[in-house]
Amino acid sequence: MTNGTGRRLLSVGDSSAQESDEQRIFMNGKHLLLKALKERKVKFLFGYTGGAIMPVFDEMEKVGQFEFVMARHEQGAAFMAQGLSRASLSTKTPQIGVCMTTSGPGAMNLVTGIADAHMDSVPMLAITGQVATGVIATDAFQESDVVGVMMPICKQTYMPLAAEDVEKTVHEACYVATTGRGGPVVIDLPKDVQNQQVADDYKFDAKTFRPHLPGYFYTPTPERDPVRKAIELINKSERPLIFCGHGVINSNAGELLQKFVEKVNIPVAFTFHGLSAFAADHPMNLGMMGMHGTVEANRAIMEADLLIALGMRFDDRVTGKLDEYAQNADVIHVDIDSSEMHKNVRATVAINADVYRTLHVLMGDPMVTCTPRRRWWDKLNSFREVMKEDLQEEIEVGVGSDNKLLMKGIIHRLSEVTGGKDLIVPDVGQHQMMSARFYNFQTRNSWFASGGAGTMGCSLPMAIGVKLARPKERVWSISGDGGFQMNMQELGTIMEKQIDVKIIVLNNGYLGMVRQWQTFFFDGRYAGTPMKSPDFSLIAAAYGIPYRKVELLDEVEPALKEAMACDGAMILEFICDPAEVILPMIPAGGGFGEMMTRHPNAPEKNQPKQGEAA
Amino acid sequence: MKRRAILAFTLDHPGVLNKISSLIRKKMYNVDTLTVCRSRIPGVSRMTITLRENDQERVDQVTRQLEKFTEVISVKELDTDHSYWREVAIVKLEIEASVLESFHGRYNFEILEQKSDDIHIVQVAGSTRRIDAFLDEVGQQHVVEIARTGVTAMEK
Ligand SMILES: Cc1ncc(C[n+]2csc(CCOP(=O)(O)OP(=O)(O)O)c2C)c(N)n1
Ligand SMILES: [Mg+2]
Repeated sequence: MTNGTGRRLLSVGDSSAQESDEQRIFMNGKHLLLKALKERKVKFLFGYTGGAIMPVFDEMEKVGQFEFVMARHEQGAAFMAQGLSRASLSTKTPQIGVCMTTSGPGAMNLVTGIADAHMDSVPMLAITGQVATGVIATDAFQESDVVGVMMPICKQTYMPLAAEDVEKTVHEACYVATTGRGGPVVIDLPKDVQNQQVADDYKFDAKTFRPHLPGYFYTPTPERDPVRKAIELINKSERPLIFCGHGVINSNAGELLQKFVEKVNIPVAFTFHGLSAFAADHPMNLGMMGMHGTVEANRAIMEADLLIALGMRFDDRVTGKLDEYAQNADVIHVDIDSSEMHKNVRATVAINADVYRTLHVLMGDPMVTCTPRRRWWDKLNSFREVMKEDLQEEIEVGVGSDNKLLMKGIIHRLSEVTGGKDLIVPDVGQHQMMSARFYNFQTRNSWFASGGAGTMGCSLPMAIGVKLARPKERVWSISGDGGFQMNMQELGTIMEKQIDVKIIVLNNGYLGMVRQWQTFFFDGRYAGTPMKSPDFSLIAAAYGIPYRKVELLDEVEPALKEAMACDGAMILEFICDPAEVILPMIPAGGGFGEMMTRHPNAPEKNQPKQGEAA
Repeated sequence: MKRRAILAFTLDHPGVLNKISSLIRKKMYNVDTLTVCRSRIPGVSRMTITLRENDQERVDQVTRQLEKFTEVISVKELDTDHSYWREVAIVKLEIEASVLESFHGRYNFEILEQKSDDIHIVQVAGSTRRIDAFLDEVGQQHVVEIARTGVTAMEK
């Protein structure tokens, strides 16, 4: 036994005579699993027990220091783990979110949350119990081929078959999950291995352990040659545009990016996951790009002669029709994942590196020049005007048909009363896009959403993880009436753990985002989108959570302030106008030229404004 | 469609073949041939995959995405000009010995067994096209059973 591990175990035994016995007892799979997690600074375990993981749960107290957070559905546990990983990455103590479930149905309930983390490059660790090795592949009770199911939707899968392999597997799994492009990793641990003792001569030292991964590469440092070419392109560009992607958030490069763009005077458009990298109202910030992006961001992309893409992957919701995308622009693509290079958009210069380090190199390079680009800014500022008045008017009026509240007005007022400083966890739908567009983000890494997968129901559990990672900050879970009901059971966790999450339900009586598509593209036939909801006040009461329903514009701000003043969780339900739409919109698979900036059924305004699209 | 050979060196771990074949399926290719063997280095496997694709960009993407797997050490596309692609076929033929005689010297083949006057088991090695040519010349109607290894390839 090495000194490092020996010391830890000593403190558990109460006398040195017992020491060796105690050590022997603890040298089993379940104990080594938890010991490794502890060494990895894991504090929270999100999960749900069951037959095949019981030994590990039973051991938890003995290892100590873990805070177990019981989700009410394993999918909830996966999203809590995501929330913790994502929110903590910008703190002094980044933590990997860990969820833990039993075999079969428990593991299968994780699938959606893991697939979601995979799409959004979120590091997390899922530990699933498995039936004993002796009965694997016999259709044993609660047996599922977890590795087989998870393989295509996570970064790596493991099934340790001996207690000796457990510790090193956990360390390797955490290393793989958190380095390079992050992603979820699954460890499927058979029940007999959990209970198995290691051999007497077993040795493991976490401090000196280095995983042997000859096939695992990532190159954080940019190569000099592409950087030199990139600088040439930047210097000769008249209409450059920077894309701030999730990689900026993940490498904590928001501040550096802001300094860089201030130095070189280049506007920035944000991907959905790049939001909150720096202040939304910064003069160089053009807002979100893509399907529901701002006019200025999308028009800038059409007109740019150079795109500098930082940590993003040219998702189809960002590019629209590829063969019409940014036809006249050179592309500098910086990403830690080399397989993203040239995947959807051919890069003129590919820099396969960490965004922070690349920006650091660019920042320090005296060759990068700054020009006023006055004509470019004039153009961009004219794009900013296209929808400005309409949106301002809508926000001020705040209500739509039948005098029902507009989501954008609510989000705008939330932004006002919180100073844009709070942490926002939206669900998926119209309210999500409204949150992305109308919250004035001021805090770095304050936006946690499901993007690549767009998983309804993510918000409530993810907000729990976010709150645990950043307990001193205020967290808002913003859901639609549809998505809220997909993981509403997690109110149980909020109740039990007294987690202070402010919960907003924007209830428009519809699966609003789908309804919007039906309005635009299906002649207003609302198939499968109207929805009757339960009395949320009773739901709230059942969980002992304060609740307020808001129907009038005048009540919006006071209600938000009430929630802020409330000591603990509160649910605010806003009754919203189902006819509200999120614009602009580039139809799926459409080109940027097809951007809709006005509701097709809206009465014509007198004269088209300058620079108007569509 | 153009035939492509992709050479991959991977760790000899369970599940690697599954990952690789899943990716190729996800990319909507039908694997033409796939061969796996040990490499010179213990613990490292050598895999040759052939599939059909005209678009070079798409092939490059497949190789990059294969390379991304934790267990995959290196991936390279081999083109026919700069590499050898070979396979072996074992063929059971119902054919007169005298007819087979006439193939000697023209094809790289070996009679493994003569089961009766006109039943032979032969082994033919060479490029895919060469083996096809052999079979065509023999005449498909004479083939009782055939086993082909699929392509393995090496850079020149
Ligand atoms: C799990 C899941 N199922 C279905 C969808 C498809 N979908 C996307 S948005 C949406 C509507 C969401 O409705 P709601 O939660 O009420 O939010 P709203 O759009 O009304 O704000 C649906 C059904 C999805 N994204 N996720
Ligand atoms: Mg709704």
